[in-house]
Amino acid sequence: MAEKLVPVVCAWCSVGCRLYIVNDNGYPKKIEFDYDHPGIPNKGKLCPKGVASFQYLRHPDRLRKPLKRAGERGEGKFVEISWEEAIKEIAQKLKEIKEKYGPEALAFLGTERISVEANYVLQKLARALGTNNVEHPGRFCQSTVFFAKQKILGNPFLTNPFEDITKTKAILIWGYNPAATSPVFFGQYVERAVLDNGAKLIVVDPRKTETAKFADIHLQPYPGTDLAVALAMLNVIIKNELYDKDFIAERVEGFEELAKKVEQYTPQWAEKISGVPAELIEKAAITFATAGKGALLQQMGSTQHANGTLLHMALAALIVICGYVGKEGVMSGAIPGAYNAMGVSMMGVDCDMLPGRVSVEDEEEVKRIEEIWGFKIPRKPGLTYFRIIEAINEGKVKALYIVGVNPAKGAPNSAFVREALKKAEFIVVQDVFPNETAQYADIVLPAAAWYEQEGTIMSFERRVQRSFKAADPPGDAKPDWQIIVEVARALGLGEYFNYSSVDDILREINRTVPILAGATPERLKENIEGCIFPCPDEKTETTRLFLDGFMTPDGKAHLIPVDYEPPGEVPDEEYPFWLTNFTLVGQFRTGVRSFRSKSLEKRWPEPFVMINVSDAAKLGIKTGDLVNVETRRGSLTARAEVTPNIREGVIAMPWHWDFNYLTADVLDKYVEMPELKTAACRISKVEG
Amino acid sequence: MSKKIFIDFKRCIACKACEVACEVINGEAKIRVFEFPDLTSVAFNCRHCEKAPCMEVCPVNALSKDDDGAVVLDPLKCIGCLMCAVACPFGVPKLDEANKIMDKCALCAGRRAKGLLPACVSACPTEALKYGDINDVLWAREGKIVANLKSSAKRGKGENALLVL
Ligand code: SF4
Ligand code: SF4
Ligand code: SF4
Repeated sequence: MAEKLVPVVCAWCSVGCRLYIVNDNGYPKKIEFDYDHPGIPNKGKLCPKGVASFQYLRHPDRLRKPLKRAGERGEGKFVEISWEEAIKEIAQKLKEIKEKYGPEALAFLGTERISVEANYVLQKLARALGTNNVEHPGRFCQSTVFFAKQKILGNPFLTNPFEDITKTKAILIWGYNPAATSPVFFGQYVERAVLDNGAKLIVVDPRKTETAKFADIHLQPYPGTDLAVALAMLNVIIKNELYDKDFIAERVEGFEELAKKVEQYTPQWAEKISGVPAELIEKAAITFATAGKGALLQQMGSTQHANGTLLHMALAALIVICGYVGKEGVMSGAIPGAYNAMGVSMMGVDCDMLPGRVSVEDEEEVKRIEEIWGFKIPRKPGLTYFRIIEAINEGKVKALYIVGVNPAKGAPNSAFVREALKKAEFIVVQDVFPNETAQYADIVLPAAAWYEQEGTIMSFERRVQRSFKAADPPGDAKPDWQIIVEVARALGLGEYFNYSSVDDILREINRTVPILAGATPERLKENIEGCIFPCPDEKTETTRLFLDGFMTPDGKAHLIPVDYEPPGEVPDEEYPFWLTNFTLVGQFRTGVRSFRSKSLEKRWPEPFVMINVSDAAKLGIKTGDLVNVETRRGSLTARAEVTPNIREGVIAMPWHWDFNYLTADVLDKYVEMPELKTAACRISKVEG
Repeated sequence: MSKKIFIDFKRCIACKACEVACEVINGEAKIRVFEFPDLTSVAFNCRHCEKAPCMEVCPVNALSKDDDGAVVLDPLKCIGCLMCAVACPFGVPKLDEANKIMDKCALCAGRRAKGLLPACVSACPTEALKYGDINDVLWAREGKIVANLKSSAKRGKGENALLVL
């Protein structure tokens, strides 16, 4: 029989759902559910994206041959060239630029969309060329929470296995709508906890979402003012002595300073700033702190703010003082959006971190890795994602090698990004589709899509899994790792890139990152369920973190008391509304792949603008009217949806269609996360 | 034994995985999710009625019940007269424009033959859709209500018991 079922890990969000692709002589025909492995987190279930995840593979727009720019940059005119020519040209240009301007003139962008192995070789290539200018879009998604949790707890990752959420008593969901962004996680764990096990659900979100529908308490702050709510919750918990005294005595430093700091941040004060009634904040704080076991889940609605790191320092304090860490039945940690976000971050596709999230300034660790790699690693942190774009604009970075990212659309103030891209001396885009960024490329390389290559992936549960090759790539497209290795060899770095399979690369990762030593190719191939890292050897996995202590040098949590700071841009007379954005269940990121998935495009075809009923009445806007939404950076037109499911004063739009040129480029001062989740706007009906 | 798809609309999150799964596996979505402004959503497909009006009115006996109690259409017999569509109280049978015959949910007959669950049920992340024998599903639900009543009564919260079905 020509048809066979190939086990893969879903290619969209970071839940890590498994499924089969039905492969018909190399052609991806459809999907089949995996009910054969009871240990997998999705238990066979899939959301609409998972079910449709094979559909874009054979889209006519797929890149099939390497391309070379023929017209002006941004014009999108290309001619086909051979792989040999493409690789040769890239190597020559990179070499030239490095020799002329030094390695700091090179920059690389990796992605959550490719395997652990491909990301590993990408950052290794950057470092072998002598630069730490290597970043990935996580800088725009999770960096605030990663940074805050790393500092306070010593490790930012999800603390407990998914199953633990069904044992918890209170779930606090902050700026996250799992019913739409991680439906399988929501349906199999969160909803079960709430409906079947009676856990209390508290949701913090300016929109009434499918998640908030299940909430006992729903707090609706203005976007970016939720830091005030968090500080006030700390105030209530400390004032009423609802914290876990024994836990604090034993495992926490800095409680006194925190208590002193939040004294001034009363619920009444927070109500004035956030618009959330003081009693509701109080009720939420008491419900959460007295539950005995609690879970905190947060995502982009909380991370993508100029005060995001401060918020996550406050939220980390919240779970620590309640004692909701280091035991069964609790949960907290970073929840990234895209499927291999954990993997790309663990592989050190970061300007200041090496594989294993080792700082480039940690002399001892860097030396250890240098010994394995055989070359010198630069010690100075490179530029962050946004600084790379700025540096291109200023002529400091000359060459940009982009794998699977779409900054021309996804980055904040994207109009500026496009201008900057025009000024680069040399741009390579390696992707599955000719996205907006590819229009600015000198060379475009056709990459195999996720189901067309074998590779390893890490879900937000810290589960390391193997996905297999389930379809042939179209045309001459090749696996990402292979392309990068070919470029490295053409650059004369072959001795450091001596791999002939993903297994070879993973074995090197096993050596380079001690907490991944046990995630060997053999183990992952034999165990479809994968294993949860840290896994220092082949027999171990670590389902719960911090059972005996935090991962800080002294094993204690080090609270960082913070003050309130407003978001980067707040409404005024000219721009009186708060603008925010959200994710639709059936679209993904900038839509490069989901817009090309037939069943998704049919059901989630276009953007719309959510506006509260009473705001709409004042402005004479009805559902279906064309409205113009304008910020200081630009404007767009879309249809209005007049609804009670958004709080007064806030306008919300799905962000998959061009949106980010509306947002400001205000950055979080700790990690340079841009304020993507709010901007001041005005809205008017389009006449005629 | 008669098996059916049961819909627990309280669990539904309007994700439309059921629709997309049906479309991906059967070529056309035969289940539809209806959404309301208050965020209620109901996924709706053929009820495979015990006394199916579509079956009763079909002039050429193109519709019949299979061993699991599913109402299935024989495309070779169907003449596209639309009588079933008129008779169905839920508006389920649709005209397949290309072939000018009817098309309806067959409870994924092909999948059931292979021992697989219907596609929409397989996908549904919240288990708002359940496939099974009516007695088993209802007994399970009843058992849960009783258990909830008991535990709530113990905690002195009798009046809230019905809220957790
Ligand atoms: S929940 Fe995420 S991983 Fe699971 S099927 Fe949906 S998109 Fe894929
Ligand atoms: S049972 Fe099969 S055919 Fe019927 S609605 Fe569900 S998926 Fe579609
Ligand atoms: S798959 Fe389930 S939760 Fe999603 S819309 Fe269908 S019935 Fe509702």
